[in-house]
Amino acid sequence: MAATTEQVKADAHEAPLLNKQNMFAGAALYIVFYGWVRWYEGVYGWSAGLDSFAPEFETYWMNFLYIEMVVEVMTASILWGYIWKSRDRKVMSITPREELRRHFTHWIWLVMYGIAIYYGASYFTEQDGTWHQTIVRDTDFTPSHVIEFYLSYPIYIITGVAAFLYAKTRLPTYQNGLPLQYMVSVIGPFMILPNVGLNEWGHTFWFMEELFVAPLHYGFVFFGWAALGVLGVVNIEVGAISKLLKKDLA
Amino acid sequence: MSASQSAVRSRAEAVKVSRTFDWMILFTLFFVVLGGYHIHYMLTGGDWDFWTDWKDRRLWVTVAPIVSITFPAAVQACLWYRYRLPFGAVVCILGLLLGEWVNRYLNFWGWTYFPVNFVFPSQLIPGAIVLDAVLLLGGSMTLTAVVGGLAYGLLFYPGNWPVMAPLHVPVEYNGMMMTLADLQGYHYVRTGTPEYIRMVEKGTLRTFGKDVAPVSAFFSGFVSIIIYFLWHFFGRWFASTEFVSGEAV
Repeated sequence: MAATTEQVKADAHEAPLLNKQNMFAGAALYIVFYGWVRWYEGVYGWSAGLDSFAPEFETYWMNFLYIEMVVEVMTASILWGYIWKSRDRKVMSITPREELRRHFTHWIWLVMYGIAIYYGASYFTEQDGTWHQTIVRDTDFTPSHVIEFYLSYPIYIITGVAAFLYAKTRLPTYQNGLPLQYMVSVIGPFMILPNVGLNEWGHTFWFMEELFVAPLHYGFVFFGWAALGVLGVVNIEVGAISKLLKKDLA
Repeated sequence: MSASQSAVRSRAEAVKVSRTFDWMILFTLFFVVLGGYHIHYMLTGGDWDFWTDWKDRRLWVTVAPIVSITFPAAVQACLWYRYRLPFGAVVCILGLLLGEWVNRYLNFWGWTYFPVNFVFPSQLIPGAIVLDAVLLLGGSMTLTAVVGGLAYGLLFYPGNWPVMAPLHVPVEYNGMMMTLADLQGYHYVRTGTPEYIRMVEKGTLRTFGKDVAPVSAFFSGFVSIIIYFLWHFFGRWFASTEFVSGEAV
């Protein structure tokens, strides 16, 4: 069609609507980082992660835990603080083109959330199953837990809340209250982290090994359902973007 | 409206923008749904899915379709009823299978050294195709629930049979009769599946002799119908665009 093959002219001085560099750099950051994490697990899980009373466990796993917790709290504080502090106080007065640009930036955040959720809820959670079917645990802070619960979950929480804050502080669409399903899709998966308390309590109390379908794990299931809130986010976004493009696509 | 009030410079740019958003939305939807669906499935039906010696003719056939029809029903409720996209079920299952295969290979095999022919995931694609096809052709949630849901349960075992059949042949080992899948389990001892927990091939369903799997599949299809209805409405709720006031939170 002529409309689709016609060359799109962009103003040379104008910032691009979608900053692809940022998007691919962000995706690469998660993928390379988690690739390194998986390598670390492969090497130090077997060589230093089998006995939590061994000195090497403290060196390679407990120190990893302490460092990641400090870094996560700092990252969350700085990132969320920056997004909030630099918020647009005249968000309702921006031009339609600027609004479109911000929707793209918002979607870069949501793409990162997709990657972070994948690693947290899929990759490292099922991985935990095979580790604990293989190694009998003698601590709550097993190598797979140090990565799954205390690294990959905080990372998707930090990413999800950042996306939500970006939308709330920079997009006119989100100025008329709090989007219910956006909160569900961010706070629900966040609640998986506090649910670790129930999980560890149960494993400690009954010393049950890793039967994955045990009712003790149903808290994770319930909060996992909240990921479906992304359907509501998509619908809000499609509505907002359609409004911006409607007359030009007609 | 003046040109300056437009978000784009031309119709061509509008088309390009629209398509770029399509890809970003699909990517995000795919991976977020994958994450939620995978954690749900691994913790409600996972053990039956992880190990071939759990893939029996009774509980695996019953449990797997019931717990896996959930997210497809919910995503169909959004993608079909809002956008007329007829691939809600298949896109969910593709996501789940991607997450599972990556894990079984890189972690079950790559980290803890279980052979892949012991830990491959269940096949769910045939049921998903039927769910989407019934919705596309019938355009009805009720028809999809009843016909599609029943088919989803009934097709599960035949869909997995080509892979599982060789592992269900009988072998004699140390004077005991068992399946090859059971033998795999004996050789790969796991912390959560000692013999007293595993319940393969026990129970009064054996009364029906060789018909264990069809009876289980039929029961599974029946429950899948109910679960489809339930999750369709969950999906509608999750797809809502409601805003709440700050004071209400």
